[in-house]
Amino acid sequence: MNLKVAIAKTNTTKQWPQYWKRFKKQWPLHLFVGMGMLFLLIFAYTPMFGIIMAFKEYRIVTGIRGIFTSEWVGLQYFREFVTDYRFGEIVRNTLVLSLLKVLFTFPAPILLAILLNEVRKMAFKRFVQTVSYLPHFISWVVVAGLSFSFFSADVGIVNKLLMKIGLILEPLDLTTNPDYFWGLAVGTAMWKEMGWWSIIFMAAIAGINPALYEAAQIDGAGRLARIRHITLPGIKGTVVVVLILTVGSILGGGLVGSNFEQAYLLGNSINNSTSEIVQTYAFKVGLADGRFAYAAAIDLIQSVISVTLIFLSNYVAKRTSGSSLF
Amino acid sequence: MARARQKDLLFDAFIYTILFCIMLVMLYPFFYVLIISFNKGTDSMLGDIYLWSRSFTLENYAMFLSDPKWYKALVVTVMRTVIGTFLGVTFTCLVAYGLSHRDLLFGKVYFSVVIFAMYFSGGLIPYYVVLRSIGLLNTFGVYVVPSMLSTFFLLIAVSFFREIPAELKESAVIDGASEFKIFWSIVLPVSLPLLATMSLFLGVGQWNSWLDSAYFVQEDWLRTLTFRMIEIINKSNIPREALGAGATTSGVTNYSLQVTSMVVSVAPIVCVYPFLQKYFVQGIMLGSVKG
Repeated sequence: MNLKVAIAKTNTTKQWPQYWKRFKKQWPLHLFVGMGMLFLLIFAYTPMFGIIMAFKEYRIVTGIRGIFTSEWVGLQYFREFVTDYRFGEIVRNTLVLSLLKVLFTFPAPILLAILLNEVRKMAFKRFVQTVSYLPHFISWVVVAGLSFSFFSADVGIVNKLLMKIGLILEPLDLTTNPDYFWGLAVGTAMWKEMGWWSIIFMAAIAGINPALYEAAQIDGAGRLARIRHITLPGIKGTVVVVLILTVGSILGGGLVGSNFEQAYLLGNSINNSTSEIVQTYAFKVGLADGRFAYAAAIDLIQSVISVTLIFLSNYVAKRTSGSSLF
Repeated sequence: MARARQKDLLFDAFIYTILFCIMLVMLYPFFYVLIISFNKGTDSMLGDIYLWSRSFTLENYAMFLSDPKWYKALVVTVMRTVIGTFLGVTFTCLVAYGLSHRDLLFGKVYFSVVIFAMYFSGGLIPYYVVLRSIGLLNTFGVYVVPSMLSTFFLLIAVSFFREIPAELKESAVIDGASEFKIFWSIVLPVSLPLLATMSLFLGVGQWNSWLDSAYFVQEDWLRTLTFRMIEIINKSNIPREALGAGATTSGVTNYSLQVTSMVVSVAPIVCVYPFLQKYFVQGIMLGSVKG
């Protein structure tokens, strides 16, 4: 024991000047990296410490210092949120929207990738790919504008077309009726991100050994059989990893665009009963009404659930399939 | 054999039909707003326009460009895109260049700090308090400063820089070039695919961003194009009021103006991104494999 300590001591005393020498030689690099660290300290780590204001009587006029100097109020704001008269509705909306989006938008890119993989005309394949990524680069604001152009009761081309061919007599309030909001949100999310997420599955398919397909073909496997027995097992690992990511970010909207942006932009005063979710509510009471600590508490509940979900889904995936994120 | 061939053909027909429909669904919305933006606003309200403009006009665009509200928003958006992308790419690459040295002292500590920041965040409200305290609210800086470092691209850039052959830098070291000189005139010029990918993503992010304009800015002159679009969409998205509301003598309506702004907002992206597609697919793969 003593010997070990002695060795460690001599090592450190020997190492310190060496460290210093290395540091002096590398100082410009440390300057570059240090600026990055300073940036993260200000814009990433200070807000993380700021979370404690959810437990405090925080007022915005006190600035950053107020986060530390205000008085503790314990779980008061959490209790207030849980007993809020809109609590049930908002939580329901958040969960339903998240679940529907995962349910319908998770399989879509996988299917698209498999279909694209079966196309042998390279020019057509590349064109479809290019077109399918495009909506990913368009802002949610434009997507909201597009859905208004297509589905609104007044100018919506869909309503006009349906009325013209006599399927409906009155225009449907697709963009304002609360009954249609979830369908609208899921549909636009799928439209926007399906092509984008197919990239990762295309790459996984490209990694499958072509010899497997040849062997299967010689054994008489048709194209469907090849998809089922080679392509699908071949991308299983990727599917699991993407599924973990999706479940972990489910409250934010999964991988198909943010719930917040959708609910905020597609929501309005009329479909409010299905479009108000936790994030839009936190935003409204927080920044618009100036109740910062209350909104921070709502935010915190959601982050805690999200982090729990990602660890949980990772654990389940590891136990059941062997693939995992960490 | 013949039956297998026939089955194959059926299978192909099925696949091509579905993919063709997907392609149509992806493209038609863009085409539709384009033809509406070239159609007289009051005429568009009558409907029945599907494949081509009915009463062609440029007055929507003339109105858009002459209205100071839209014109200024466009200028601010272009400015933040150019400056924000330049700062974001340069700063992220500079930090990544430092981190890419394998023998960097405290390298592991630096990486942990970055990765933790990538996965956890303090949420909107504390972030707002921080921006307020350092005086960024209601300034142009709020658009470009907080987005200077992208942790996602930092990790991608590090793995990219590590692939650059050491010989390339050694000659510069012998010539006595400083680290910044090496970064600027040797590392950056050979990293074009990386720079193209980053510029596209950061640029599109800046161009599309509306959250910061809605949250952190109250000054009218700082409003961005996307923010103005939200305003006008909200205005026309109240049922039974779009028709005629805001219709002027010229035949430009709220709705036609909204559609025009959408075309202006989408056009640069549509023009630029097909050329950079090759790079960004590579970039994303690199990120998903090593990040």
